Amino acid sequence: MSAASLMDPNPTVLKPTDIISTAAEYIMQHRYRSLPVVDEDGCYMGVFGVNCLLRLVLPRAAIMEQGLESVPFIHESLTDLHQRLREVENEPITICMRSEIETVPPDHPMVETLLILYRTKTSIPVVEPGSCKLLGMVSYWDVGEKILSA
Amino acid sequence: MVTGASTEVIFGIEPTLFAGSLFVLTYLLIITEWLNRAIIALASACLMILGGVLTQESALQGIDFNTLGLLTGMMVIVGITKNCGVFQYLAIWSAKKVNADPWGILVMLVIVTAVLSALLDNVTTVLLIAPVTLLITDALKISAYPYLFAEIFASNIGGSATLIGDPPNIMIGSAVGLSFNDFLINLAPITLVILPLTLIPIYLIWGRKLNSEAEHRQQVMNYREREAITDLRLLKQSLFVIALVLVGFIIGHDYHLQPATVAMSGAALLLILNNLPLNAEEQSKTVHKSFCEVEWVTIFFFIGLFIVVYGLESTGILEKIAHEMLAFTNNDLQATAIAIMWISAIASALVDNIPFVATMIPLIESMQESFGGAEQIMPLWWSLALGSCLGGNGSLVGASANLIVAGFAERAGQPIRFLPFMLVAFPLMLFSIMISSMYLYFRYF
Repeated sequence: MSAASLMDPNPTVLKPTDIISTAAEYIMQHRYRSLPVVDEDGCYMGVFGVNCLLRLVLPRAAIMEQGLESVPFIHESLTDLHQRLREVENEPITICMRSEIETVPPDHPMVETLLILYRTKTSIPVVEPGSCKLLGMVSYWDVGEKILSA
Repeated sequence: MVTGASTEVIFGIEPTLFAGSLFVLTYLLIITEWLNRAIIALASACLMILGGVLTQESALQGIDFNTLGLLTGMMVIVGITKNCGVFQYLAIWSAKKVNADPWGILVMLVIVTAVLSALLDNVTTVLLIAPVTLLITDALKISAYPYLFAEIFASNIGGSATLIGDPPNIMIGSAVGLSFNDFLINLAPITLVILPLTLIPIYLIWGRKLNSEAEHRQQVMNYREREAITDLRLLKQSLFVIALVLVGFIIGHDYHLQPATVAMSGAALLLILNNLPLNAEEQSKTVHKSFCEVEWVTIFFFIGLFIVVYGLESTGILEKIAHEMLAFTNNDLQATAIAIMWISAIASALVDNIPFVATMIPLIESMQESFGGAEQIMPLWWSLALGSCLGGNGSLVGASANLIVAGFAERAGQPIRFLPFMLVAFPLMLFSIMISSMYLYFRYF
């Protein structure tokens, strides 16, 4: 058993030219945690999800490496946060997508794949070795369904 | 001349040649940053011993444990203190004190950075001030660059004011037996002049154009600085210990208490206060975390460097160089002091000031006899301290704090590039050295 047996081979994807407002609306509507971003050749580029949205509304100084560890002194309203999002809503999703997520090849051992899923806390892209083609996504839901129906 | 040094060098190589070559190689490798400087220093130190220039015993004699103890103690204290949020509180409080006026905030953050750098570790100070600076400038919708630039200068200027503000001062104070008060009396006055004067060109270049709309300033005014303090108990403990430590530095010299003893005692006390209410498992985690706050890379870099310089000193090269320098300045104390200041400043701008100062200390000690004793060469020490600390402002690589801020600015998407920084910073640094030279002249000659 390998990653290929766990993955959804036809995941919903986003394009790098999609803008943040459109992508955000889509994710919210369908309650996706994150979606892979692929280019026109099907090449995996990164993931965009709710965590990206949080990053866009949080103060930059709080989310960057060696930034502020806590911000209890900031008392902004939802309107302030929305305003921060509005400032970037027409930017492409590539400005905040995460490209450092670990990917796995389709023949990656199943338990190891599950461990990566557990540690990264986000869906894992399955990428063809030697190329960057996205073959599928391993998500908590796919894994849960397959384990429970086994 | 160093005692206990071995005279049998590997392969029968002349000790001076071996030690000199190893030293130059060490220095070059540190400059190129091809390898981490701690690794280079440690490896070179081992080669000094393995090569036969020093024995292990004599190498240990070369390590200035007072400097190491002082650095370590203060790092532990600051590492624990920062968890209470006091640095963020100070930055926000000062920003609100000037009604979030952009130029006012710059001045206030400069003052906060300078004072903290004088009393605590430079690197930790900028590590904690830089994020709050970015938060404030993001809220004001203005560039963080002028603020980060000014904070780099503030950290080095503030750090030069006291014994504990900057590693070069710690090394000089320890080697010469200078007290906290000696630095305060001799160096703090001129830093109080240099800091505001430095703000003038910063205002002319950037300050005049700093502007923010009322609604953005209101965002900063809405920050509740009181809530930045996340652990009031820790704040009280930390302030208590820091106050005790400062008193210890001020009066310690009279009671023959070395700065390392004061700092380590403060660290031990704060560790006790911080861990007393915790159970064994929690204590284990907290203590481990506290000791992880010590920059062990810096500590091991110092250990290696001390041994390397000691090895060089043992061959007598530094004494010879000192005599050459004196010949060059015609044995004139004033000329020697000015020369040391300017050479230190330019060297510190271009290379790490710590190895430079480590090398200069035995060199200046060798001049003692020529100038009539330890008391006579005091101006040389102040020259070295001012030159090496202020020189760190000359370029991004001049001081560790500069690189920390530059790294932060890069991650924030507002990079501080080497050349643009230097084009403004180097002349500004020379300006501060010019003022320091005048101070030196009028004060000691």
